[in-house]
Amino acid sequence: MQISPHIGSQLVDLCSALLLLTCFAIVAQRRLSACVDLFALQSAFLVLTAALVAFLTGNPHIYIAAALTGVIKVVIIPRVLKKVIERLNVKRELVMNVNVPAGLLICGALVMLAFFITQPIIPLGFLLTRDSLAIALAIVLIGFFTMIARQKAVSQLVGFLVMENGLFLGATAATYGMPLIVELGVFFDVLIAALIAGIYTNRLQDAFDNVDTNHLTTLKE
Amino acid sequence: MPMIAVLVLLIAPLLAGGLSLIVHRSALLHAINLTSMSLLVTAEIMITRTVLRDGPFTELGQLVYLDALSAFILFIIGAVGLACSLYMRSYMDDQVARGVIAPRRLNLFFFLFHMFLLAMVLATVANSVGVQWVAIEATTLATTFLIAFWRRRESLEAGWKYLILCSVGISLALFGVVLTYYSSLHVLGNVSEALNVTQLLPVADQLNPHVLKLAFIFILVGYGTKVGLVPMHSWLPDAYTEAPAPVVAMLAGVLEIVAVYAILRMRMIVDHAVSPSFTGGLLALLGFASFVTAAFFLLIQHNYKRLFAYSSIEHMGIAMIGFGVGGPLGTFGGLFHLLNHAFAKSMAFFAAGNIHRRFHSVEISQVQGLAIAQPWTAMALMISGLALSALPPFASFVSEVQIVTALAAQGVPGQWLTSNGGMVTFALSDQFSSLSLTGLFLLCSVLAFSALLYRITGMVWGTPPEGIVRGEGWTLGHLPIVVLAAALVGFGFFLPQPLRQLLEHATQILLLH
Repeated sequence: MQISPHIGSQLVDLCSALLLLTCFAIVAQRRLSACVDLFALQSAFLVLTAALVAFLTGNPHIYIAAALTGVIKVVIIPRVLKKVIERLNVKRELVMNVNVPAGLLICGALVMLAFFITQPIIPLGFLLTRDSLAIALAIVLIGFFTMIARQKAVSQLVGFLVMENGLFLGATAATYGMPLIVELGVFFDVLIAALIAGIYTNRLQDAFDNVDTNHLTTLKE
Repeated sequence: MPMIAVLVLLIAPLLAGGLSLIVHRSALLHAINLTSMSLLVTAEIMITRTVLRDGPFTELGQLVYLDALSAFILFIIGAVGLACSLYMRSYMDDQVARGVIAPRRLNLFFFLFHMFLLAMVLATVANSVGVQWVAIEATTLATTFLIAFWRRRESLEAGWKYLILCSVGISLALFGVVLTYYSSLHVLGNVSEALNVTQLLPVADQLNPHVLKLAFIFILVGYGTKVGLVPMHSWLPDAYTEAPAPVVAMLAGVLEIVAVYAILRMRMIVDHAVSPSFTGGLLALLGFASFVTAAFFLLIQHNYKRLFAYSSIEHMGIAMIGFGVGGPLGTFGGLFHLLNHAFAKSMAFFAAGNIHRRFHSVEISQVQGLAIAQPWTAMALMISGLALSALPPFASFVSEVQIVTALAAQGVPGQWLTSNGGMVTFALSDQFSSLSLTGLFLLCSVLAFSALLYRITGMVWGTPPEGIVRGEGWTLGHLPIVVLAAALVGFGFFLPQPLRQLLEHATQILLLH
């Protein structure tokens, strides 16, 4: 089956936009387990995007990356996080540094900023899917913002994983995937980072009876 | 021969890490550690010889790239690593004997320590900037549990903060790597070698300057978090206070330098496409921010580990200023300063570890009469303190003078402020800015110098408080302290020929690329 390149690039843009949409949903969501579900959904969209790019370009190693994303970010990491959340006392983000409406507005501004930054360099790319670079940067920035705005260790971790999703989207869409050895290494790092953060959450829960990182204020000037 | 050396470099820590998990006697664990470190140092010496004789080379099918700069970084990893391994022999056994850690946890400690070493070696020898990124992120993952090793509330807090801040910072650096790849695809095509330094350097002038500028900013911020440059430094004092002393010695002595190396590698590529004053200006800007901030924070510290942590930020700032100003003198001074700082700081943390075990406190006010209680440690603290305040006759005085001379002569490359900033409207004349910046540099040096010396002399002199055991027996852990002290004084007068050559070649690489 052949898809015209034009329609193909439109489809990739559509999928990237869906990824961005789930970012906003995560920012608006207070329940921790729902945040994890949304992250899994976002990763599923990412698998879809990567598979689409792989199909359009016929690059077999993007299929491998897509499959790994599916296994690690849609199945393993959400499961680990769900296990962690089951042990927690508090399942909702009660106090946020930035409230939801303001957070959404800031994320809107971040999207504009991302488009503004990448505007001069997007025409330089020669690949069909280069427009996704702006969306990828927007997702990275929103993930970054989530980490600042939230206080629970789990939601900070979700913010970090969202950043990683943005980076992966950027690598897949803007450059048709990084060299395989780099991509494998990145997956390995993300997986280990998520596991380590899970272990930390448990230990913090034991030590502080709480995983509100707001309580982590012993070490101050 | 170089092939074998490279294999030893990568396999020795891997094997030692694996063995550390299955061996149960502590003497055996230390023996494995020391053997692996000695192998590492031997391999590094072989590589240095090859690099000095034949120039840069690639190995293992383009995966590994070694030149004088990476050989120099490897030298620091080996020297500080070996010193740490010797120090750990007495330090860790003492902790087990005092019941601070269960003997079983030594396995985990050594496993993580070797993985940390492996990741740093990989980050130094990797040809691909992508693989380098993976290795640097791996250092974060290997060290976070080492920082939280005592499992106190504070150490968990410090470990978590380190993990989150560094992972986020490093993610930004990955975006920079993606952008680099984005720009190299044009020229090199979609091949797996398109991120290799050996492929990028020859074509670097054809890469798109706008993309590379953006990539460099992301990479500088990302790896700058690992270096601990202001304003991305907030994890650093906490981690340095909470981690076990040998781990901090490695973090402060080596890890920071590996991150600096990653920035310098990227700069070599970017400078081809963009004018060097762009990257130099950014480096000097962050360098000054770190130097000035740390100098003032040094004044208000009452915890000696935090004092040394801020001194790390200060010295990394000074080295960054050296690289930013550039020229033969600035670059040489910057590299030399990295070496001196690695030696002085690891020594300072060895001393801090000894003091903490004796006085059970990290508060400066609780520690007095060190010269009576622990004469060897007092000497180590005094020497490292003097070296860190960059007094003659120490080598750090020489490197700091080199950097400040370069700064006074050339000033900070500032043209990018007016050409790229747009928002920055005040354009200082070159003469004025170089003069005032030199003044600022000297002022901050004096501040840092007086803060360090005031605190340290307070700890060394006086009479020890009641209940503190007096006298200090000689252990294996004192050997690295003496050797490092000798090197710090010796390098100020005379640099051994191979080391001088290595430094000069590395400077050439950074200047010409």
